[in-house]
Amino acid sequence: MRFWLSFALLALAAPTAQAHDIVLISGGPALRSFERYRTASHDKYWGNFIDSAILRAKELQLTIAPTDQIVWLVFRPSYQRRSQEDQDDYLKILEERGLKAGITPIYFDNKAQLFTLLRRDGSKEKPKISRLEYFGHSNKKCWMFDYSNRVDGGALEPLVVHVDDLDQISGKSFTSDAECISYGCHSGEEFSQRWRMIVGRPMIGAVGKTDYSEGGIPKLSTGKGGTWAF
Amino acid sequence: MGLLATFVLITLLPCLCFAPPLPLRSSSASSTNPATSLVTEPTPEEKVPAEESEEEVRPPITEKVMRATLRAAHTPAKHGRTDGPYLIAQRTIVEDYCGWGWVRKENQSWRQATWIAIEGTPNLCPTPHAFLPKPEDDKNQQYRFYGEFAPYRAYEPQADMWVDVFILKGFMSMGPAEPIRRAPPAQASSRPNRFAERGANMLKP
Repeated sequence: MRFWLSFALLALAAPTAQAHDIVLISGGPALRSFERYRTASHDKYWGNFIDSAILRAKELQLTIAPTDQIVWLVFRPSYQRRSQEDQDDYLKILEERGLKAGITPIYFDNKAQLFTLLRRDGSKEKPKISRLEYFGHSNKKCWMFDYSNRVDGGALEPLVVHVDDLDQISGKSFTSDAECISYGCHSGEEFSQRWRMIVGRPMIGAVGKTDYSEGGIPKLSTGKGGTWAF
Repeated sequence: MGLLATFVLITLLPCLCFAPPLPLRSSSASSTNPATSLVTEPTPEEKVPAEESEEEVRPPITEKVMRATLRAAHTPAKHGRTDGPYLIAQRTIVEDYCGWGWVRKENQSWRQATWIAIEGTPNLCPTPHAFLPKPEDDKNQQYRFYGEFAPYRAYEPQADMWVDVFILKGFMSMGPAEPIRRAPPAQASSRPNRFAERGANMLKP
């Protein structure tokens, strides 16, 4: 009797394999008409933030629990505008590339939609986030989804997640051991610290610039003494 | 006889080969035609016909030549919807700074001007520099801007500033102007960064 009681207690106390979401966010590319003549020209290739996210998804698929799911959030308007500029259909191309890697893009058009997508309660429909990674333009104070896409050298207000907006992301949406990484430039100089203090989870970010030009997972730009920080 | 013929050939051939050149037509004409030789050559002043000399000669003004050779001269004089109220706008380029330039009302000075970013209106009016080879080709050009301010602002990442956005419906070119000696807004709009001062937690590379 004692044995069965202890067995039942153990079974209750044992953690059940709960599903979690791994969120990858891809920001949008700049327009070449704005960037072509700049000294530091961005986004010669349209798919920097797409390819790196897909590659990361392939890496994560090897390590994540079978119950976990990769959720790929893509900022749509910038790809539509770049498609118009280059006379190509980049949304179709990125969907095809995602399909090959076994992930489907979920589009968002502004930061309000992103905040809604990041709102989780741990239910089966909205599982908590165990990992979040961002690929896109940023500076030390914000993520800029449409940098140099609608206005030259800047981003529009509804399309910027500024450190002052971070209180709209709840720490309860994340698991207690969630890991967050921002692969944008300069995130480790302030954004990461504000994220940790407001959202309550550590975020690794770059001190200095990140470089997507070689393809794959972005690296720290060489020669500037950059590092990763949280 | 044979010797005589050879002697004759030797003496006559050089005379034939080295005959003096034929006189040129002009020189022969001037020398042979007594009528033309009597006429003295006219001086440059006299070459101009009488009726042309009376006309006022107006050489192009240096400023006009300069304007015509500017690349910005290729922007259309007028484009899009150009009716209703307008703003005076001057293209100003600041390296690594978001935005297009300054705008002010007609009766205001540049000190009261506002720094803006602009968005063109699809199928109605693109930005003026869209007509030029490079975006900076219309630097210090002045325009009349027709349109309205957007309900949203643009983020300037270098200065951490929010910049007003003007949605362009039409414009009129007003030509080059003196540069505006005024720096764009630079004070940070967000709260002071007390978190960054603590220093980041560096990860070992």
